Formats: sequence, structure tokens, C-alpha cells
Amino acid sequence: MALTQVSSNKCAGGFQKVFEHESTELKCKMKFAVYLPPKAETGKCPVMYWLSGLTCTEQNFITKAGSQLPAAEHGIIIVAPDTSPRGCNIEGEDESWDFGTGAGFYVDATEEPWKNNYRMYSYVTEELPKLINANFPTDPDRMSISGHSMGGHGALICALKNPGKYKAVSAFAPICNPVQCPWGQKAFSGYLGSDKSTWEVYDATVLAASYSGPQLDILIDQGRDDQFLSASQLLPDNLIAVCSEKKIPVIFRLQPGFDHSYFFIYSFMSDHIKHHAKFLNA
Amino acid sequence: MDLYDIRGGGLDVIREESEHQELSRESTTMEPYNVVSDRGGRADPGRFHLPESEIVTIRNQLQGKVAEMESFAGHLEEIFLTVEENFGRQEQHLEQHYNDVLQTLSQRYDERSAGLEEEKKGKLEALYSQLLACGQAMDASKELIETAQEIYRSQDKRLFLKVIEEFAKEDIDLTLTTSLEFNTPLADLSDVKTMMDSINVVPVINPQMPNSATQTSLRVCWSLFSDDTVEYYELYYRPVLEDTPADTCAPHVSNIKVKETHCTVTDLLPNAQYELWVTATNTTGISPASEKALYMTVPSPPVIKQRECTSCPEAALIRWESGNTNPVDSYTVELSETGTDGTQSGVTESIVAVPTCQCLIQLQTGRRYLISVRAVNIGGPSDSSEVITVSTTGTLFYLLEDSAHPCLSISEDGFTIFYGDEELPISAVALDDTFTRCVAVLGDLIPVRGRHYWEVEVDDGTEYRIGVAYEDTERNSYLGANNTSWCMRHILTPSSWSPDLRITVNPVRIGVALDYDRGSLSFFNVDLKQHLHTFNAHFRNYVQPCFGMDNPGALTVHNGIEAPEYAFI
Repeated sequence: MALTQVSSNKCAGGFQKVFEHESTELKCKMKFAVYLPPKAETGKCPVMYWLSGLTCTEQNFITKAGSQLPAAEHGIIIVAPDTSPRGCNIEGEDESWDFGTGAGFYVDATEEPWKNNYRMYSYVTEELPKLINANFPTDPDRMSISGHSMGGHGALICALKNPGKYKAVSAFAPICNPVQCPWGQKAFSGYLGSDKSTWEVYDATVLAASYSGPQLDILIDQGRDDQFLSASQLLPDNLIAVCSEKKIPVIFRLQPGFDHSYFFIYSFMSDHIKHHAKFLNA
Repeated sequence: MDLYDIRGGGLDVIREESEHQELSRESTTMEPYNVVSDRGGRADPGRFHLPESEIVTIRNQLQGKVAEMESFAGHLEEIFLTVEENFGRQEQHLEQHYNDVLQTLSQRYDERSAGLEEEKKGKLEALYSQLLACGQAMDASKELIETAQEIYRSQDKRLFLKVIEEFAKEDIDLTLTTSLEFNTPLADLSDVKTMMDSINVVPVINPQMPNSATQTSLRVCWSLFSDDTVEYYELYYRPVLEDTPADTCAPHVSNIKVKETHCTVTDLLPNAQYELWVTATNTTGISPASEKALYMTVPSPPVIKQRECTSCPEAALIRWESGNTNPVDSYTVELSETGTDGTQSGVTESIVAVPTCQCLIQLQTGRRYLISVRAVNIGGPSDSSEVITVSTTGTLFYLLEDSAHPCLSISEDGFTIFYGDEELPISAVALDDTFTRCVAVLGDLIPVRGRHYWEVEVDDGTEYRIGVAYEDTERNSYLGANNTSWCMRHILTPSSWSPDLRITVNPVRIGVALDYDRGSLSFFNVDLKQHLHTFNAHFRNYVQPCFGMDNPGALTVHNGIEAPEYAFI
């Protein structure tokens, strides 16, 4: 699999790079960002996958989240893919900001015209890790996943659907219960059809209720002044209730004064990377 | 001090020294030969050249000998001074003794001469009166003779016979009224003789030898510099009481008879001062008493207060009770490292001159130590106290029971607190230090600014608040609700409170990690190794762990645990 370097910037002692490749799952050219910490020059490093939210590309995270410094400190490679296939020319893909382009929802679509290209779940969990492990100094056994909003949803479902694959998981303002919120209902009915039972396999709250696997320790930060929280798009209480029931360890921090933006992410990024480092560097 | 011993030892030293001096002379005189041979061009290093190492060795030996000589000289000086002192004292006593004798003799002389004078006067008076009487008698006789002659010449012979008859009736006493002998009583000089024969030399009681005393006994030595025979010595002693008013009766004086010049007095009180003096007795009597010497018994051993000792990976704070009613001079803390199988490594350390009843000791991490304390006064050190074991794994502390809210009861081992359902008894009095509103208690953390870790175990349904607080945090305030305490408070949902943190698994064992240098206080769910929260605060003073209960239940403190890796990343 050929990788083309798109950009490289020295940052925090390491390098923030962007690569492009031809994706077999998504059948189009995809970009992704990779941060290589100083430690990567001399040894293998664990990898944290970051999934961005609605409307983002691989650029938002690397320019706004403040991840490089803590990543360098803890010696972690951070991979941030794009949020959906691009340039596939599917009809209706650019109609809404919360469906189609920039809104892949990290599922493998089963409905036309999406099912050919919109396979973000497989891309993130299968193709991308293989590519990363083949081209960068990684320790393939040590992976973790995190994300924001739609990406938070993506991180949670990837971890819950793949017990033992990810050593750590965390999320910023995640969509916790998509089958119950407008965003989720719109996206799932579009990608997966009207049979709601097919939606459940991509819902963190539902997955948590039947999770069995190695113990997780989920860290979630949520801005208290997040407009989407009050608009019932995120529904963290549902996830917390199920996790309390199932005794899945969750730390849910409601941060007063914070909204849904990258300013919020920036403020708590080092806490999250420290949380991941605890498990990745153990 | 026995001069003979010193003399013998000293000479040995001198002899050795002179040997070495010769040796050194030899080595120095060898040099010229070496030089000569070099100059001569036929250097034969093997033969004459003294290897440098030997020179160094000889030099070191000489230096050692010089040091010995110096200390010997110092020793001699001490002896010299003591001899001078002792002889001075002896001279004084001798002078006094003979003065006494002379005084007694002159007293006797005065008495005797006064007696003689009296006698003389008496005799003279008697004789004089006799003389007078004789004179008078003679005059009367003369008169009589004249009268008789007159009468003889006269005619009346009857008158003459009458007078003669009268005259003949008178008897003249011609005996001396006084005796011709002198009445010389035998001089009673027996007491003077006694004085001369008695032991006029005063015994010299030695000052207290170091390490000769125990808690209840004193070993006393003395000497008598005299050729007099001694039947026995009598040692007197009485305790010196600190503040005896002048008119109360003096403490009882006890005495012991011994034949030797030393004695061990037993049955004494510890850490007490005693006044001792000695007399020597033989057939002629008792010598004057020696000077009074002050001896002190060694103190009783201190008692380590286990519940007030605290430790951490780098240090331990030991507190103890003096064990003595009166003050002692200082304390000595002794510690030795012990292996995990209980064997002592023999590495011992002593910390001397500790002025108060506590000591902060620097230690190595991850070891076990046995620590004990002795009290010290001028009599010497006491026996060792009971040993306390200190482990420098993790941080260990007990609870400050005086700070506990009246509703809290503490288990016997001191690590579990119970908040009962019962109403607070009216009789429960809150002391100065106790929490009055918040049902809480403080711990007694060692005042060392390093990293400390401890764990708290609770029941699942317990509501509690734990963390740290300054020692002087307000006792009528709630922990965590002021700026002198930092707490994590666990509340069960549903609750009207909006929490900072929502968790899905209630921790039953919480790890608390305090890092003074970084200024952080972190809480963990130990079973899940889950990080709960971290405070970042600069602790300007030392803080104490605090434990508060918001509903009835039990809380147990676990410490002496090595901090897990995740606690301080």
C-alpha cells in the first residue's frame, strides 16, 4: 500500500505529518494525519487513534486540539483519519452537514448509494491499523482510541465491539445513544435502513448493556454549556445508567462553562492522553 | 588514680617511640648514601633505595606515635593536676588536724595552769592567814610574858597564877594548815592521744565513674592515703531533693559498713542525685568525713509512644515519654537495620543529644529498622526502651484521636472509624481539638515534604469525604468546604447535588496520593486502578490526611503500602 506524504511539520520535538493513500475499504483517496513523537526515532511506540466529529477533516484535530505536546511527553503516536470518504460523487452526500460528507458515523453502510464507499467502521478498525503498523514504528499490540462528538461515538463503539483490541478509550462530548437522538436516527436510517435492530450494533449504550470482555476504564469529558447536550443529541445519562448497571467503569466529568468546541477539547486533551498513556505504557 | 600503673604504661610508650626514632634516623641517614651513589654514576637502586611505600608506612607509624605521645602528655598533665589537687587537700587536712591537736593541748595547758594558779592562791592564803594567826599569837604571848613579868614583880601571887591558868588553857595550834605537797592531778591527755593516733587523714571519695551507675545502684569508690590501719569504712548517703525548704526535716541518711574501698549502693531511685561521704574507722576512732560527692543514678528507660510514631519511605518520626518524673539531660536514639527474615544486619546508628521527646530520622527506602531510645543524664545512659519496628515501605500514620468528632468511635488497632446511628449523647463534651460539625478525624502524617500514599476502605453504600487538610483547619467547618482542606466527597445518587464527577462503579478502596513537590493530591479506585481526580495545589504548610463520614458506616485506613506506579505518574 503506497503512502504519499502530503505535509510534514516539526512540532513539540517530533513531527506532525499528513499522508494520502488509496483506500481499499472506502475506494477513494483518503488523507490521515500522523504525529510521530521524539521516541519514535529510536523505538516502537503505542498508537492512539483519534476520530473527529461532524464536518471535520484530518486538519481540525492537528491544528486545534493541542495533542502534540502531551503525545511527545508520553511517547505516543497519534493517528487522526478523515471523517468520511471524499470525492466519491455520491448523490446527496453534500446536502447536509450531519449526513454524508464529513459525517460517516463510523459505520459500514448497508444501504444504497452509500454501501460501496461509506465503510468507515472497517476502515478505522481494520485497514488503517494495518497500514499504520506497516509504515510506522508502532507496537501493534498497543492501540487505544478516542474521539469527539461523532468521533466519540465512533471511539466508544469501536472499543465496545472489539473487546481487548483497544487498551484504552476516552471521549469528548460523545454521542452516547445515537438510536435515541436526531443525529443518530438520521444517519442510521440513511446508512443502515429502517430496521432499527441493525442500528443497535453501532450504539454505545446498547453495546454496553451486552458488553463482555476485558475491563474498560472509560473517561468522558462533557462541557456543561454544550448546546448539543441541551439539545438531547448526546444523551450521556443513558450510557452512564447502563454502565452503572453493568459495572463498566466510567468517569464522567461535567465541565462547567465549556461548550462543544475545540477550545473545550484543547483544555482537557492532556488529561486524556495521560489516561491513555497509563494503559499504553504499562 | 594509681600512679604506679601510669608510670609503667608510659614507659612502654616511650621505649617504643625511641625504637621508632632510631628506625627513622636510619631511614633518613640512608638518604645520603643514595644520593652519593647517584652522583657517583653507579646508581644501584635495588640495594640502597628505600621504596616509597615503606617510607610512607614508616611516616604513618611515626605520626601515630606522635599522636600517642601527645595524648600521653595530656594524660600526664591530668595526673599532675590531680596529684597537686589531692596533695593540696591532704596538706590542708594535716594542717587542720594538727591545729586541732595544738588547740586541744593549749586548752589543757590553760586549764592546768589555771588550776595550779588556783591551788597556789589557796595555799598562800591559808599560809598567810596562819602566819597572821601565828603573829597574833606571838604578840599575845609576848604581852603575856610582859604581863607575867610585871605580875611576877608585883606582890599578888594569886593574880599571877590566875593569868597563868588562863594562858595555859590556850592551845596554840602549831600545825600547818596547808599540806606541804602539791596537789597535781594527772593530766587527762587521752583525747589528745586519740587525736594523734587517730586517722587524721581524710578519705578521698572519687567522682562518679562513667557507666558505673545503673537505674537503682551506684558504684562508689574512695581511697585513703595513709599508713593507718582501717577496720572498716562507713559510707553515708542521702538523696538530694530539688526544692526542700530550709526548715523541713532533712532526708534520711543511710549508711553502709564495708571493709573495701568501694561499695555498690542499691535500692536507689532512678534519675536521682545522691550526696555521699565516707569515714574510716579503727580502734582509735573515726576519721573526719570525706568531702561530699554528688552521684547520680541513671534514668529509667523511656517508653516509645507507638501510636504517635509515623513513617514514610525516607524517614521516621519517633515520639516517646521520658519515663522519668524529673528531667533528664538528653536522649539517645539507636537504630539498626533488620533483614526480612528478622536477622539484624548489625548496622547500627546512634543519634545522641536529642533534646526533646521526639526525633525525625532519615532512613533508606524499602527497609525495616528496629529503633529504641535511651535517656541520658550525667550518670550515663539508661537501659534501652522497648524496640519499635519501622518499615520504610509506604507511609504509615495513626489517627489523631483527639481530633475525632464525638460521634466517631475508633477501633482498637486505631485504623477503623465507625459512625454510629445513635444520637449524640448530651454528655459528650467536645474538646478543643475535635470536629464539631463534620463527623471527621485527622491523621498524624509525618512532616516530610515528599510523596505519600495511603488507601481508604469503605462499604459500598457509604457517603464520605476524604483528602487532606492543614492541621489547623477549622474544627467547626466542613472538610472540603474551606480553603484549608482538599477532599473528594462521595455521594450516592440520586442527589440534589450536581457532582463534579459521575462514576459508574463505586470505589470501595480509594488510593490517595499526595505529592508535596508537585503540589498534587490524587484519588484512585484501587481495584480498577482508575484515576478519579487530582487537585493541584501548593501546600504551603504540612497537611494531615482527613477522613469524614456523611452517613453511618465504617471506614478503614490502610497504610504502609508501597505506592502503585500509576499513583505518581
